[in-house]
Amino acid sequence: MSVPAGGQLRIDWEAVERAPEFQELVKRRKRFVVPATIFFLVWYLGFIVLAGYAPGFMGESIYQGFTVGYLIALTQFVMVWWLAAWYIRKSDREFDPLRAAAAAQAQRDVDQQRADHASRFQTGEEGAR
Amino acid sequence: MTPVFAEVNVEAVVIFGLVVAITLGITYWASKRVRSATDFWAAGRGISGPQNGFAIAGDYMSAASFLGIAGLIFLYGFDGFLYSVGFLVAFLTVLFLLAERMRNAGKFTIADVLSFRLRERPARVAAATGTLAVAAFYLIAQMVGAGALIQALVGIDYNLAILLTGLFMLTYVVFGGMIATTWVQIIKAVMLMAGAIGLSILVMNRVGWNPVELFNRAEEQAGGGSFSLAPGALYTNPIDTVSLGLALVLGTAGLPHILMRFFTVPTAKAARSSVLWAVVLIGAFYIMTTALGFGARAFLGEGGVEAAGAGANLAAPNLAQFLGGGAGSFGGDALLAIIAAIAFATILAVVAGLVISASGAVAHDLWSNVVRKGKDSEHEEVLVARIAAVAIGLIAIAIAVGGGKDLNVSFMVGLAFAVAASANFPALVLALGWQRFNTVGAVTGVLVGTFSSIFLVLISPKVWPGPDSEGGLFSFYDLANPGIISIPLGFIACWAGTMLSKERGNERSFHELYVRSETGLGAEVAPAASPVPAQEGTRIPTSA
Repeated sequence: MSVPAGGQLRIDWEAVERAPEFQELVKRRKRFVVPATIFFLVWYLGFIVLAGYAPGFMGESIYQGFTVGYLIALTQFVMVWWLAAWYIRKSDREFDPLRAAAAAQAQRDVDQQRADHASRFQTGEEGAR
Repeated sequence: MTPVFAEVNVEAVVIFGLVVAITLGITYWASKRVRSATDFWAAGRGISGPQNGFAIAGDYMSAASFLGIAGLIFLYGFDGFLYSVGFLVAFLTVLFLLAERMRNAGKFTIADVLSFRLRERPARVAAATGTLAVAAFYLIAQMVGAGALIQALVGIDYNLAILLTGLFMLTYVVFGGMIATTWVQIIKAVMLMAGAIGLSILVMNRVGWNPVELFNRAEEQAGGGSFSLAPGALYTNPIDTVSLGLALVLGTAGLPHILMRFFTVPTAKAARSSVLWAVVLIGAFYIMTTALGFGARAFLGEGGVEAAGAGANLAAPNLAQFLGGGAGSFGGDALLAIIAAIAFATILAVVAGLVISASGAVAHDLWSNVVRKGKDSEHEEVLVARIAAVAIGLIAIAIAVGGGKDLNVSFMVGLAFAVAASANFPALVLALGWQRFNTVGAVTGVLVGTFSSIFLVLISPKVWPGPDSEGGLFSFYDLANPGIISIPLGFIACWAGTMLSKERGNERSFHELYVRSETGLGAEVAPAASPVPAQEGTRIPTSA
């Protein structure tokens, strides 16, 4: 059982892809995801590299046994929670409306197809993709 | 012959029994709801975001991360903690790159996403290979760990412990499918969090709720052992540490049993919110694990190292016993029993998740779509899934019993993450994002990623400990973790395979996959929302 291709509806995927809403969605999502991914990878791998190559610095006590290493480790936890929450907030407020707009565009397109078919009174080719 | 039930911890068995009774009750309830393939593998796509967040946490946090990390922190201090940071940060990779797009583009397995735009049969065989390799290594590691742990905690024989674990695991999966598996994972996550919170409260209470005091007390108890608040106690080769870090951060996004969880929610929105729930739970848990590791060091001291056993897995249970009033006291025994039961539930939830993901690769990918070319009925697919689950479970039990306690668990877990990061992750990310990517590239990438990881681990010092027990037998290669080499190799193989092959024509299906994965247009919706397949006159299904 392969993945059904959008039911029997013919969605013109390339048209949706060209639509300004979709382009805007991808652009905005990338503008968040790419820098955020680079940031967390650098911050995390930097932490690991420091632990590996600068154990002295990481072991320095900031306050009675609480070390630099633990402080940076704690920032990793805060980073994960903060970035995850930020992404979800942005998705709800910014990306989802664009997704809905792109979907609406595709729906209008399909309705148009259906109207065309109905007016031509011909449905034989409907299932073909 | 020693009796099988030597020194059985009766309280622990009673609480075990309670956990088993509840989970079997849920399995019975779930079994009546499993009718379709979507019910079996994706819980009818009826799991909510918060529920899935708990289930992901339950699926992900193994006994290794509960008892193992607490033990490593107890033994090595800072370096033990390093592991848990990577396990958590990994979920940002999952959230940003895969969670929603998997939900939008896939159905039950990783292979669904690849075969969407690539030639179906080779793509499915490749993806199933990656999935089965990861699931096999991880499952065997979990089973061996489970046997050793339950034997130590409860006093029942290693082999019997594995048999029982395997039996319950198969009962959940075969009868209750993903619905039962999900609820076992949710219950486990709740138990695990409650246990960690309870123990942390007891620890913090003893140090006057002052974390710095806990650090100080732990350091005072270092006692000339390996414990250190600075790095370098456990990981001495920085390149190896970076390699491990890379495998953790990218490998989680290639773990089939974690990715599969995103198919159980109704929408992409629920998929992403479940990641937020999961990181809150997992992050809080790892911070508490630190308190437990430090607590064990502060209260049990260097003298507790021997009692904590191999890898100090028993540091947390021993701490619980101490906090409850010590061995022989009612409170001490009760707390120990509770922690033992939590460890048991933890193992069950993880192995059930692994078996169901492996059954998807065998039944949905290999049987239904490769052997039967999609011509089988849904009834047959679910039947084959159940048979596959039993077969996989039995093989894992046989290897765990046959290989015995001496199988190196950490080496198997490392291997699972390395394969996930080097084979599954590159293929998935490129299939979703690189227009030119083709079948040859995916097959080459998965095979090179899988086999280079296995090969590098096979020649590593862990397997060939060399005469001086310092470096490995092969002096030119001394990495225990292959990720830093095998992950780039996986990506390069995907790229090279694509560029060297004449295969074209995947660009067209790329547009569809691209739009679907980004928007949720045409995604599989929950059957409850659309009982019949989309037909003319219905709306386009969308998970947005």
